[in-house]
Amino acid sequence: MFNRLSIIIGGPQGAGLETSAQILTYSLAYLKYGVISDREYFSNIKGRHSYVHFLISSQELPTSLTYPVQLVAALDHETIFTHFDALQEKGVLVYDVWAEEKTLDTTPSMEEDLKNRLREKFNKFGIDGSIKSLVKHISENNRIHLVPLNYSEIVNEIAKKLTLSASQAARYVSSIIIGAVAGLLNLKKKAIEYSLIRRFHDRPELVEQNKSIIESVYNIISAEHGPILELAPSSLNNEELMIVSGNDIVSMAKIVGGVRFQSYYPITPAADESFTIESYERLEVDGSKIGSVIVLQTEDEIAAITSAIGAALTGVRASTSTSGPGFSLMVEGLGWAGMNETPLVITYYQRGGPSTGLPTRGSQSDLLFTIYASHGEFPRIVLASGDHMEAFYDTIEAFNLAEKYQTPVIHLLDKFLANSITTLPLPSLSDIEISRGLMTNEAEDKYRRFNLSTPLSPRAFIGSSKIMWYTGDEHNEFGHIDEDPENRESMYRKRMEKLKIADEEIPENKRLKYYGPEDAEVLLVGWGFVKGVALDALKILANHGIKTAYLHLRMFSPFPSKTTQEILRRFNKSKIIAVEHNYLSQAAKVILLNTGIKITKEIVKYTGRPIYLNELVDGVSRILRGEDRVVLKYGP
Amino acid sequence: MVRKASEYQSDVWNDWCPGCGDFGIVAAMYRAFSELDLPPEKTVIVSGIGCSGKTPHFVNVNGVHTLHGRAIPFATGIKLANPDLTVIVNGGDGDLLGIGAGHFVALGRRNIDLTIILHDNTVYGLTKGQASPTLKRGLRPKSLPKPNIQDAVNPISLALASGFTFIARGYSMMTEHLKELIKKAIQHKGAALIDVLQPCVTYDNIHTVEYYKKRVYKLEDTGWNPIVEKIEERDDKIIKAWMKSQEYDEKIPIGVFYQDPHTPTFEERIKERIPSYHVTPPARQKIEREGKPIIDEEVFRKVFSYYIVKTE
Repeated sequence: MFNRLSIIIGGPQGAGLETSAQILTYSLAYLKYGVISDREYFSNIKGRHSYVHFLISSQELPTSLTYPVQLVAALDHETIFTHFDALQEKGVLVYDVWAEEKTLDTTPSMEEDLKNRLREKFNKFGIDGSIKSLVKHISENNRIHLVPLNYSEIVNEIAKKLTLSASQAARYVSSIIIGAVAGLLNLKKKAIEYSLIRRFHDRPELVEQNKSIIESVYNIISAEHGPILELAPSSLNNEELMIVSGNDIVSMAKIVGGVRFQSYYPITPAADESFTIESYERLEVDGSKIGSVIVLQTEDEIAAITSAIGAALTGVRASTSTSGPGFSLMVEGLGWAGMNETPLVITYYQRGGPSTGLPTRGSQSDLLFTIYASHGEFPRIVLASGDHMEAFYDTIEAFNLAEKYQTPVIHLLDKFLANSITTLPLPSLSDIEISRGLMTNEAEDKYRRFNLSTPLSPRAFIGSSKIMWYTGDEHNEFGHIDEDPENRESMYRKRMEKLKIADEEIPENKRLKYYGPEDAEVLLVGWGFVKGVALDALKILANHGIKTAYLHLRMFSPFPSKTTQEILRRFNKSKIIAVEHNYLSQAAKVILLNTGIKITKEIVKYTGRPIYLNELVDGVSRILRGEDRVVLKYGP
Repeated sequence: MVRKASEYQSDVWNDWCPGCGDFGIVAAMYRAFSELDLPPEKTVIVSGIGCSGKTPHFVNVNGVHTLHGRAIPFATGIKLANPDLTVIVNGGDGDLLGIGAGHFVALGRRNIDLTIILHDNTVYGLTKGQASPTLKRGLRPKSLPKPNIQDAVNPISLALASGFTFIARGYSMMTEHLKELIKKAIQHKGAALIDVLQPCVTYDNIHTVEYYKKRVYKLEDTGWNPIVEKIEERDDKIIKAWMKSQEYDEKIPIGVFYQDPHTPTFEERIKERIPSYHVTPPARQKIEREGKPIIDEEVFRKVFSYYIVKTE
């Protein structure tokens, strides 16, 4: 029995894989297993290869993914070609016998680069490169347990049994994957049924039809193979678990945090967040209204940020959500918000750049951009979340900080988080504060929005009893254009001093976190989605006798310079390793700028795929053996 | 007591060129605001960049002087967050029809209850008189080194194509007439455009007061009925208004070209989905209770039940 299992399910985009992954995740959560999964896909609607990579645990809520995997369940032959070598020795391959005749030449959807690498490999193996020859090879050489199924026969039988047309029945092919995984892992059938009802509650016929096909596959597996990847009973005792993507959890947090206006222009991987918020535009519980949110799809990202700023001027918690290309367009608006001391939250899901880059793949290459974006100087807060739970609390905190310091807040996330689905306990809401910052109580006739007597001028909103002016020009206390040098100096300083105040007020231990033993000798330094894999790496490295710690950076402006410096100074320079999803080790550059300490060892990955546990551990070993820079590129 | 026009004038010194057409526009605004008795704290002027961009500073109502081309989306956010406000956009021809043309079109599609006052002087004044999107091909105001080789866009036709439901043209030197147009536009429920012809006395020696004096005539004097009385006549009225908008050489019509009171405003469309929108729009909602979120753990479980699995 297994306490941890890594599995991959793969198939063409648009073939129902996502639904299969969802049903499996619900089922596993229902049975109290911890799950994290990453979805990898092309910028494509139908036909290109996509896959979901899971890590399932009976002992913890997992936070990272790793290779090799114990199971590959393939909807099509491209999945076999792409993932066969991810299988551990004695791993299991589920596939369609009809795929056996397929070769690389009859797989036009695959990119030539991978085909060429595979051709070389197949030559070495001495096989002709058909699926038939490949599965025979891995079965003989890697002792892979083959589970060949006849997908069309299975579907046809179900069609007959339920009197469905061939085309209707064909829609259920992806459920074969569910049946196979469930049978191999020995998941209880009632868990699958629970998940189907959950997923298709309003369409009972879909529950029945899916159930039939899943059961028939489940029974074939039980009879012919047995539960060879049986999961150990869970030792977790969560009575309830959330199943959420990064996009989901941020949407939920915005709603809890009081967002009342969200604007967006469609972009991967941010748009799902706005869709989710829109589905909650009327907030009602048991018939009583708690509020409503306006979600506006704008004509471009410029309108997205500027309409959100407009809403914020009326006192509404407003945000926009985007990715790199969208943020590039928003930059002028960002400066206006900075100049006009407008609270605004920009949720920024990084993807691979520059330009269109890798639109559906992850990256952390926009840190320096967000810290410096827009001309001129103005204070901004840049925070970054490392996992789903952090993203929840940070999203709410982003609004508090924006209103408290009257300045734009950029909340950095990435595609890895956006699209990875995880099991999570419910967040604790009792400690959450909603703080709206300083409000004016002046009775004065003439309200000075930019009152110079303090850097944080008390706010009033457009629509209140006060009249006020705003301008992107340098302005006086009333918000009218003013180019006087004395006024310029005071107003400039007033704005900039807010960052100093934020730096003094926000505890540094909320801006970074140190994980691991105090007497560690190796320090990994990272941010964002690196957190999960870094924390798992600490455990493995400790088992190898390498005491390792992880410094997780959570805020880059204002930067927690003192604590970072203190921590870095405790370590031998050759044992401090930056771990980042970019080329330049951007966070290490920010550390250098703020502390004067140069990190000289780095592990980077910029293929757009997440850093896997196995390669990170390996990377650390290579650094400790003397390498300065390790570039990771595992994962198809 | 109705507020006097002079009460809407701010104490900021107006630095437009002496004789600038913008003075006529702002004067018409003071008078229109006064006659409608707009409460200054519930009124907002949003502007872009350029000479017209300075308008909000000269008016004693809330003012938001934004970015080049972006006045409409700023105004969109303000209006949708607080639909009680009267929101008026002042933008130049370069601002609204050049760099910000996408937002102009999008506003028509949404029909948000905003008034757009287009300062149409055919040049980019503040950067010394380059050709604007309303300058005709072949013309060469004295500021241009060579005649303009780009065609002009017709604001009235574009507004019709985009879906604006109130479309008018005014002339800055006829402030009484312009004032009436501004009042009508503000009172109209939906996206309203007033294309205001306005001489740039410094850079444009073609479109002068003399030029317009010879050409401008009032549509209402010709018995023009711009109003879509019944929905069925909408297409017909659009076609007629479009034909009329092509008249722009020897004679230039001013007045209301088209008005459609039937198309629902964006605010009404939101209300269809969120019935409480007009009672508690975003700006009037409370989002915390004694510093805590109004969504507590019990409510959270109910609201987000879709994401929560009760385990076996």
